[in-house]
Amino acid sequence: MATTTATITLSSSDLLSDNLSLSASMNLYQHATTATGLEQVNYHRLVIPTGTSFDLIPESAKLSEDASYVYIINKNTDVTDYVTIDINSEEIGRLYAGDWMFVPWDCDLTHATADSSIEIEAFTHEHIIEYALFHNGETLLTSGD
Amino acid sequence: MATTATITLSSSDIADNAFSISNTSTLYTAGTDTHITETTGLGRKKVATSSNTILLDAGLAGGIAQDVTAAKSAKVFIKNHNDRGDGTKWVNILLAAVEIGRLYGGDFMFFPWCAEDGKDIEFTCESTGGTDATETTLEYTCFYE
Repeated sequence: MATTTATITLSSSDLLSDNLSLSASMNLYQHATTATGLEQVNYHRLVIPTGTSFDLIPESAKLSEDASYVYIINKNTDVTDYVTIDINSEEIGRLYAGDWMFVPWDCDLTHATADSSIEIEAFTHEHIIEYALFHNGETLLTSGD
Repeated sequence: MATTATITLSSSDIADNAFSISNTSTLYTAGTDTHITETTGLGRKKVATSSNTILLDAGLAGGIAQDVTAAKSAKVFIKNHNDRGDGTKWVNILLAAVEIGRLYGGDFMFFPWCAEDGKDIEFTCESTGGTDATETTLEYTCFYE
């Protein structure tokens, strides 16, 4: 069993009249367990050209109905650059240069018409994106050619 | 005026070598290097219902989300304040009708929000038996321009 920890800190000295400091920490557990951690991670760095929406993390039977967590960061530096992150063609939000996100991901194959893949599209320039998928299982099932 | 968000993801045993990601992003308005100046503040919502509940109402007339649109920058933090328990109860986080993922007790998420009209951030409490009406508490905040 692996132990993976996620910690977030949100802080500002001047957004409010008093200092803002919020911190939270969690372990990445498997579904329906009390203490068994996720066992696998995919960590990628890739280039996203403009003009096309891509499946960054395709839905898969291997990932279905279990706990998964996704971290994505936009590594561009031009502040006007952004990517959109979509699920089932619904835009979740825009990651501008330097922005990151961390969310749980429900890879749900039960809805035949809904695609739970995490999609990405780059605007203004091609983008360098890094992402990590923490999950519980990816056993290769199909033999090579 | 600067608000920052820092994430650290680390594991000493998910791979052969220790794994650690850490990044800090400064929260800017869309496409600029001007710092975000608005926040909902930290909120807490306690529910005991199996029905869908709106956490952040996009486009609500006179509401905070009225000021947040797709072309602007908004970042949302949500934490399931419940204990993890046996890991068989969670909160489904949705954007409009699209499920993003499951927050188990103690879990958090941080993501950009495309706050177009109708793209409410909603949640439904569930367990392995289906919807769950036992008490659930979420903490949340939204930073926006």
